[in-house]
Amino acid sequence: MDNEKIIDEGTQSQTEENAGSKLAVNNANIPPQTVTPGEYDQKRKPFLRFLRFILLFVVSILFLSGMILYIIYGVPAIRESTPRQHKESVISKDLKKDQNYTKLIGPLSKDVQRLTVKFDAYTSGQSYIVINTTDNKFYLYKNKQLVREGSCSTGSYKKLQTASGKTWTFKTPRGKFLIQGKRTHPAWHRPDWSFIEEGVPIPPKDSPLRWEAGVLGDYAMDLGDSYMIHGTIYKRFLGMPVTHGCVRLNDEDLEVVFNTLNVGSKVYIF
Amino acid sequence: MESGIKSKPRRNVIFIVLISLVLAFVIYYSVMCLLSPGRKLEDLRNAYSTKSSEKNDADKQISRNPDYLKLLKEKAFLQSRIAMAGTDSSYLALNMTDSTANIEICGVVVHKSKMVDLKISKILTETNENAILSLLSAPFTISGSYATIMKEPVIFQMAPKDTSEYKPDVMPDTTLAEPVNYILETKQGIRIYVYQQEQMKPKDRMNQFKFDLNDRLRDTWNSLKRVVEFKVPEYHLFIKIKLPRADAKIIYRALPKNGQIALFN
Repeated sequence: MDNEKIIDEGTQSQTEENAGSKLAVNNANIPPQTVTPGEYDQKRKPFLRFLRFILLFVVSILFLSGMILYIIYGVPAIRESTPRQHKESVISKDLKKDQNYTKLIGPLSKDVQRLTVKFDAYTSGQSYIVINTTDNKFYLYKNKQLVREGSCSTGSYKKLQTASGKTWTFKTPRGKFLIQGKRTHPAWHRPDWSFIEEGVPIPPKDSPLRWEAGVLGDYAMDLGDSYMIHGTIYKRFLGMPVTHGCVRLNDEDLEVVFNTLNVGSKVYIF
Repeated sequence: MESGIKSKPRRNVIFIVLISLVLAFVIYYSVMCLLSPGRKLEDLRNAYSTKSSEKNDADKQISRNPDYLKLLKEKAFLQSRIAMAGTDSSYLALNMTDSTANIEICGVVVHKSKMVDLKISKILTETNENAILSLLSAPFTISGSYATIMKEPVIFQMAPKDTSEYKPDVMPDTTLAEPVNYILETKQGIRIYVYQQEQMKPKDRMNQFKFDLNDRLRDTWNSLKRVVEFKVPEYHLFIKIKLPRADAKIIYRALPKNGQIALFN
């Protein structure tokens, strides 16, 4: 059987040789550029290898990207969606009749009421003003009711620096303040920065050059630390952050605010 | 020729081993991350659990009764706000039940805003858990923040040497509408994510995506570092809210750097 195979293989190789010789004869007529099937396979191999490499590379990249996306987005999502053991709420009608329940609930609801009253008392029934420095808006309240709202100008957040390194940041302070004083036809006592800002020599503290009338409007309300609520001649800047820290209002709003707030009234700035 | 034949299966084996290693690590990472909320709850129980007064079944039933729990939470929220009202600075009162985020100063509500969307960490919703109730009963203190806007938009200006260099103030450009997204981190380990509701331009959506991705990458990096050290990653409790852009900006700018937040859940 094996011999037969060997013979067969021998004859096969012989026929192949014959075919080869026939091909060689034929090749004599074919131009020299023509590629034999073996050579063709040899030429295709690098291309196939390259194609396989590209495929492998793309699959690897997709796999790694998938894993990264899974770690960044998938894991937190799964973490949040996994159910956890927790104590179930108990809703029982009989419980409300229980003596222990009424003993606990009674004082607790009284505590809540007491705290609610205490918290509500923080909002004064008297007049107060709220100033929003982000939107440059003001809200005036009287008897816990909003009586007027409008635009204002607050600190510009400009940081002024001199050559010697001295700095001023023009921002409106935030928190709770009290009206410490009220003035009509106020004059402005110019601080050092107002001269530095204009490139003008700074006069002595008691110099009359420091006083400027008419720039603060008809009224001014002091908040302490030289900060004020006052009027302005730059009305086109209302609603914008342009001041050196004071709060500017237009003439009509200023008059209402001045007449509504008293010395000691609260000013909330945020 | 022979070595070429041998190298092919070897390359395949290396490839399979590498993929298996990556998969094994991802599975290990996932398991460790899934363990983290449980670990966090355990830590919270250790840190905040008070001695249980549940003596019998009736006590247990009372302590898990929704009406009783609601009153307890309301009391805690009021206590937090009253405690914060003692300071002069502004603070945030987040009420999840009526979806409001209010800025208050000394007990006075100075700004009200309505949450448009709300997502909360699962652990935080388990308010019949003694530890969570205790955690929520005190105000949180902000320890840090990440934001797309500046807290204080300071503009630097050099003083002019003389009047010739002086330039009068120009009108600020208020049309600039930068996207408002931020994360407030608290000392208690709760993160408050605030996103602007409006998606006016594709740029806004892109900005929010980038902001969110940055946070996720930061978180994943920290988790990977811990997992490599065979430690369970840290789990951060979170509250994610969407607010109108203007409100989100007001809240961020109004809160001091170490401001306080009260939560009613």
